Amino acid sequence: MNRSFLCLTLGLVIALGSHFAYFRINEPAPTNTLDGQLAWMRSELQLTDAQFARIKELHQASSPRLRAMAAQVASLQAEFGAFERMRQSSDQVDFLEFARFVETRRHLNRECHDSTRQLVLASAEVMNPQQRQRYIQLVASAESLMPSSLN
Amino acid sequence: MNPPPDPLDSLLDRWSDPPEPPPHLSHEVWHRIALTEGAENESAGWWQMVEAWFARPSFAVMFFASCALLGLFVAELRVSRLQRERSEQLARSYLQLIDPLITAQNEDHRP
Repeated sequence: MNRSFLCLTLGLVIALGSHFAYFRINEPAPTNTLDGQLAWMRSELQLTDAQFARIKELHQASSPRLRAMAAQVASLQAEFGAFERMRQSSDQVDFLEFARFVETRRHLNRECHDSTRQLVLASAEVMNPQQRQRYIQLVASAESLMPSSLN
Repeated sequence: MNPPPDPLDSLLDRWSDPPEPPPHLSHEVWHRIALTEGAENESAGWWQMVEAWFARPSFAVMFFASCALLGLFVAELRVSRLQRERSEQLARSYLQLIDPLITAQNEDHRP
């Protein structure tokens, strides 16, 4: 009786031990930095060292500009929020201001799209056809996975 | 002097010899006894069977190997699922990185 019980317990310990050891070794590490994301791209698209170096360079070069544009978009959104609150409280619309806002927003949106498009195209240019196809798929699928669509 | 006739006598007279038992009565009785005892000893018998298996070293080794393989298999399923989720999350983060409109939108929605 003791022997069987011991064997069953040992079997359970072996199963749990092998499970957690394997899981700990192979668990993907969470990363949210530029380097981490580029490393993910490298493994996902099987980039060569030269391709990876070029794509990293492209992303690093465009990163400050993209960040600045994101800050501009956020600032414009805050500005529009204030404008909207004022319109609701005073019940008056400054049409000139609103037209200026819409124009600025349209211009900035176009700039953002162009910058993103340029970066994607420049990165895709470095890749071979299979990698390029996979890259476009990844970007497209990520866009469809975003919680809400862009305005 | 004769005793008065008892009404029971006539009934006793009508009682003939007891009927013959069925041909396999004895066998049937023993069979039912065996079934009852078998049900009582079933759990004990199952455990004895397990003990008999583990008494064989080859079975014990195979059991431990199976446990290890099962653990690895379940871990692999978990890792695959986690990798798929992480990959989707990284794709979303990458898109945020390269698209200022999404970056601004997410920062705007952040509490």
